[in-house]
Amino acid sequence: MKGLHGIIFSYEKHTNLRELTANRTPASVPFAGRYRIIDFILSSMVNAGITDVGVVLHGRYQSLMDHLGSGKDWDLSRKHGGLRLLPPFAYEKSGFIREFRGRMEALAGVRSYLQGIRQSHVVMANSDLIINIPLQDVYQAHLNSGADITAVCTSNLDANAEDVNYFRLDSNGRITETLFSLRNPEGYYRSLEIYILSKQLLLDLVDECTSHDLFNFRSAVLQGKADSLHIQSYVWDGYAAQIHSVKEYYDRSVELLDPAIRREVFHPQRPVHTKERNDASTYVDPDGSCSNCIVADGCTIEGTVENSILFRGVSVARGAEVKNCVLMQDVTVDRDAVLHYVVADKNVEIMESRTLMGHDQYPMAIAKNSKV
Amino acid sequence: MKKECIAMLLAGGQGSRLYVLTSNVAKPAVPFGGKYRIIDFPLSNCTNAGIDTVGVLTQYKPLELNSYIGSGQPWDLDRLDGGVHILPPYMQEGERGSWYKGTANAIYQNIGFVDMYDPDYVVILSGDHIYKMNYAKMVEAHKAAGAACTISVLEVPWDEASRFGIMAVDGEDNIVEFQEKPKQPKSNLASMGIYVFSWKKLREYLINDEKDPNSSNDFGKNIIPNMLNAGEKMIAYRFDGYWKDVGTLESLWDANMDMLSRGDLDLLESSWPIYARLPAEPPAFIGKAALVEHSVVTQGCEVNGTVKNSVLSHGVQVEDGAEVHYSVLMPGVTVKKGAVVRYAIVGENCQIDCGARIGGDPESCDPATWGITVLGPGTVIGEGEVVAPNTMLNREHKEVRR
Repeated sequence: MKGLHGIIFSYEKHTNLRELTANRTPASVPFAGRYRIIDFILSSMVNAGITDVGVVLHGRYQSLMDHLGSGKDWDLSRKHGGLRLLPPFAYEKSGFIREFRGRMEALAGVRSYLQGIRQSHVVMANSDLIINIPLQDVYQAHLNSGADITAVCTSNLDANAEDVNYFRLDSNGRITETLFSLRNPEGYYRSLEIYILSKQLLLDLVDECTSHDLFNFRSAVLQGKADSLHIQSYVWDGYAAQIHSVKEYYDRSVELLDPAIRREVFHPQRPVHTKERNDASTYVDPDGSCSNCIVADGCTIEGTVENSILFRGVSVARGAEVKNCVLMQDVTVDRDAVLHYVVADKNVEIMESRTLMGHDQYPMAIAKNSKV
Repeated sequence: MKKECIAMLLAGGQGSRLYVLTSNVAKPAVPFGGKYRIIDFPLSNCTNAGIDTVGVLTQYKPLELNSYIGSGQPWDLDRLDGGVHILPPYMQEGERGSWYKGTANAIYQNIGFVDMYDPDYVVILSGDHIYKMNYAKMVEAHKAAGAACTISVLEVPWDEASRFGIMAVDGEDNIVEFQEKPKQPKSNLASMGIYVFSWKKLREYLINDEKDPNSSNDFGKNIIPNMLNAGEKMIAYRFDGYWKDVGTLESLWDANMDMLSRGDLDLLESSWPIYARLPAEPPAFIGKAALVEHSVVTQGCEVNGTVKNSVLSHGVQVEDGAEVHYSVLMPGVTVKKGAVVRYAIVGENCQIDCGARIGGDPESCDPATWGITVLGPGTVIGEGEVVAPNTMLNREHKEVRR
């Protein structure tokens, strides 16, 4: 069968997301009022007509499994194909599953799944990239160029980016050099870690890496095969965000208040799907006020809310003041509480008259289910 | 497989008293309360009450309703056994078959469907009421009384009783008399149009009613009086929650306003959720200059103007300088810069251009001529255009008289 198959890597990474990843992988961090980060790449795949997606899981993935469920909300609950969750398989009788040392090792662990892929090509991506990209265009470019591998990259060099691959391109856009963690990446393109290649090439690479005891996609393939394989770039300078710290989480969240950015993230032709909840519309009381905010359904606003992101089911009681905050699902702010620069995780309750002040440069993160 | 209880939902009515709002859709598909359509209420009530088999009887303009219901998944009614079924009228052998002649005839024509589940009890529901109700409790009361028919009733003020179908009861809530819109009501218990029947009994009465050429094949006019006359045990089941028939423009507007005040009809209260099928839209955005008061906003909305005492459904845009007061804006409506909407129901995907004025306050004109202004779905109002209170326009921008 022609077409694309999606593989999403979702495993733990070393980030500075502090409380926000205490119980989850970066992929299931809530974002933009009603989504989890993985929704963006998953929806990009679905919107490109991809019907089969495998998610390679590792680490604290319960929250992610709970979110994805059968894949119904992404129209991926199918008799054939659809969403497949691929948790680690403890084949070494140790009972202890160590971290993947690299993508090739993770892929080797699901080789039988790869063998069963019905499509001719595979698109691989990370689950922690927030992007709304027309992958069908990337696929078409891959077919047109006749390349072995197509890698999506951007000329936007993210100052916060760590552990990032950089590409040097020749005049035809072919990747001639891949470097890691450059101090001065001027003149390079930053990889967004989205790759398209044929199923057969992927299987060959997995087998070759396994037999040579190689586990890292960068060193074994991008660097090791730069000459023998045609690795082509696809430059995407639209919105793409990866979140490494609470500060960056905060900045990326409030950035959505800018209509231009919102239009890129929520493209009308490429809707972002997520797990549905059944909330009524949000109610704003006569005593409440709300300005410059993103507000999901099911909220009750009786206090003052400004420059903030409210997830589903948040309630802000009379006299409370919420400014420059991100309040996740079902957060309750009781009467007369004051919150500035706070990122409150799910189900946090801020008691009456409490005052919590973070700072623009250091937003205060409050762990899930806390009572303050 | 046998089911103890199934529900039959009458959703075929044209809803002619909603005029332009139902010129292209059946009444149960009319949007309500920001996220919902009217039919979400009975469907969600069924699911929450544990009734997993629902037949939806459609007839008038069913396309949008059919696609909205789909597999029934949003209401958890996509089942291996049972689930939601759309039941349109159909032809039978010998070229017999007809439109549904009345509410009872609609069920009569689907006796075969009900028999597939061999239920002990059948709940008959309407597709034009807004309420949260646990039908399971009503079925329990029906069983406990050993009744042939149980009718849910609501206490209404005595001076309004003559507008309803009134049930006169004895001391044990046995129904002794039924009066349709009586001048001298014998009780103030109004029928809510929700019935539980023991299926064997109802089946008998439906077949006999069909044989009567003079019958209008209607539950209220024929089946219920016939059962009463025959001395069947019929009881009234008292309901004291919020219930409203939204069959008229005024009552539809009223019910939306009732929802805003969050008294008896609190949709944010989560113990009895109402489910809906919704497009994937981002959360609402409320801009810097926006002023939102005593209103609801829904996902996909973008509000930069003033919104007071109003219901904004999903995907509504209110541009800067625009004002919306005491109005119900259905999905996808755009109110452009400086336009003002007062006391109006604005149908799906209407576009109100800059500086236009729709409707007006009750104080703004002669109280005798004042009324809610209504725009049918897809109406486009030009720049600076004025639409007076109590006016109704259809998609072609023609005025429709009530």
